[in-house]
Amino acid sequence: MAEYLLPDSLSEATEIIAEHGRALAIVAGGTSAMRCGTCRGKHGRGILCLECPGPRLVSVPNAAFVMGIQRLGLDGVAPANGGLGFGAGLSLSRLQASAPIPALRAAARQVGGPALRNMATVGGNIFERQPYGDVAVVLLALDASLTFAERDGERSQTLAAFYADGAKQGGLLTRIDCAAPDGEVVFLKCGRRRFNSPTVVTVAVCIALDGGKVRRARIALGGAGAHPMRCAAAEELLIGAALDPTSIAAAAAAAADACDPATDVVASEWYRRRMVATYVRRALGEIEQGS
Amino acid sequence: MTAKILSLNVNGRDETILCDGLTTLQEVLRDQLGLLTSVKDGCTQGGCGSCSVLVDGELWLSCLAPVAALAGRAVMTLEGLKQSAGIAAIQQSFIDNSAAQCGFCTPGMILTVKALLDANPEPSHDEILEALSGNLCRCTGYLPIVEAVKDAAARLSGGADAARASEGREG
Ligand SMILES: Cc1cc2nc3c(=O)[nH]c(=O)nc-3n(C[C@H](O)[C@H](O)[C@H](O)COP(=O)(O)OP(=O)(O)OC[C@H]3O[C@@H](n4cnc5c(N)ncnc54)[C@H](O)[C@@H]3O)c2cc1C
Repeated sequence: MAEYLLPDSLSEATEIIAEHGRALAIVAGGTSAMRCGTCRGKHGRGILCLECPGPRLVSVPNAAFVMGIQRLGLDGVAPANGGLGFGAGLSLSRLQASAPIPALRAAARQVGGPALRNMATVGGNIFERQPYGDVAVVLLALDASLTFAERDGERSQTLAAFYADGAKQGGLLTRIDCAAPDGEVVFLKCGRRRFNSPTVVTVAVCIALDGGKVRRARIALGGAGAHPMRCAAAEELLIGAALDPTSIAAAAAAAADACDPATDVVASEWYRRRMVATYVRRALGEIEQGS
Repeated sequence: MTAKILSLNVNGRDETILCDGLTTLQEVLRDQLGLLTSVKDGCTQGGCGSCSVLVDGELWLSCLAPVAALAGRAVMTLEGLKQSAGIAAIQQSFIDNSAAQCGFCTPGMILTVKALLDANPEPSHDEILEALSGNLCRCTGYLPIVEAVKDAAARLSGGADAARASEGREG
C-alpha cells in the first residue's frame, strides 16, 4: 500500500520530497511507473518483479508514498528567452501537436500509440530506461537543459551532463528548455514496425553549415548505451569538414565505434551497432540532401 | 492508513471509491464499480489497448492510470457511451464487416475509433493504421477492422452533426 500525494504547488511538492526522500516515487503519466507483471501489481509496479514467473517488468520499487504532478501546472509550453520551453508534465500528444520543431513532433509521434501519448509526459521520457527515451534523444541534440525544483530554489543542469552523470540526479523536474536550434535537426527511429514500435535505436542530429562546411554538429543516440548519449567522436570528425558522403561515412563509423548498446528482446547489441551506423548516415544524408 | 476516498465521475455518475497510491483506474472500474467489463484486463503494461477508456474525452489506458490522480475528472467506458448514435454506427460497422471474432479487443477498438473519428471524421488508410496501432487483435488480422473504420467514417460523415448532437456531454 502506498499513499498518494497530489500537491497543488511546487513548494508543497518540494516539502514532500524533502520529507519522504527515497520512500517517495514521482509518477507523471504512469506509463512506465505503473506497469506491472503477471502479479497484477501485488509485488509492486514498475519494478523488476523477480517473484513473477511471467514477463518481468521494471517502476515504483517499495515506495511508501507516490506523488502525482498533475496539479503543479507543469503541462504547459512556455518559451523562455526566444528559445523553446516545455513543462515536464506536458503530454506527448500535446508535444506532437504543438512542438515548433518537426523533429520533436516526429519523435513524440513515434512513442507508443495514441492513448499512451495522451498520458505519457516529456519529463517521464527523460527518465525512461533504454532503449526508450525517444524524445529525450532529440532534446539532447538540441542541447536542452533541465530545471529541478528544490526546497530552497531551482537547480539547472544540461541534459548532456545529466546523462553523463548516470541520470542519478533526483528531485522534481519542472521544465526542459533549449535555445532555438541554429541548424537543421533530423530525428530518425529504427523500429520493428511502422507505428507504435519498440525502439531499436534512435538518432537525432543538429547540424549548422557555414559556406558548405560544418560549423556545429550535435549527434545524439538512443538505445546505444546506458542512457541517451552524445557522440563526441563523430561530432569532432564533422566540424570544419564539408558534409559529403566521405565525412558522413566517417562520422557514422565513429558513432558505431563509440556506442555501447545492450542486447534485449527487441534487438541484439550486434544489430543495434549496425543500425547506429546506418541511421547516423541516413540522418546526416538528409541534411546533405537538403543543403 | 494509506487508502483514500475520492469521487470520480464514471459514465455520468458521481462515484465514491476507495484507492491507494498505486490503484489503477482499471482495477476500480472492473473490481470496485463492478460489471464495467468492457474494460478488459489484458496485459497491464499498456501494450494491448484492451483497457481503453475516455478521460475527459481523451483516449487513455486505464491499466496505467493511477486513479488517485483522477479525482473530479470524467471517465467514460463503452458502457456509458453505448446509447450514443456515434457508437452505434461504429458497432454496426464492426458487425457488418466481421471485425470482431473473440471480442476481447473490440471495446478498446471501438473507443479508439470513436476518439479517431471525433478528431478526424475522414481518416486516410494510414491514419487509421496509426490510430489503431496501440490496440492489439489476435484474431482478425486487422483488415476487417480497418474496413469497419472506413465504413463507420462513411456512415457517420453523412449524419455526423446529428450523431454528435445526440451524444450530449461525451460528444
Ligand atoms: C506500450 C508502451 C510503449 C512505449 N513505447 C515507447 C517508445 O516507443 N518510445 C519511448 O521513448 N518510450 C516508450 N514507452 C515508455 C514511456 O511510455 C515513455 O517514455 C513516457 O514518456 C514516460 O512518461 P510518463 O509520464 O508516463 O512517466 P512515468 O511512468 O510517470 O515516470 C517514469 C519515470 O520518470 C520519473 N519522472 C517522471 N516525471 C518526473 C518529474 N517531473 N520529475 C522527476 N521524475 C519524474 C518517475 O519517477 C519514473 O521513474 C512506452 C511505454 C509503453 C507502456
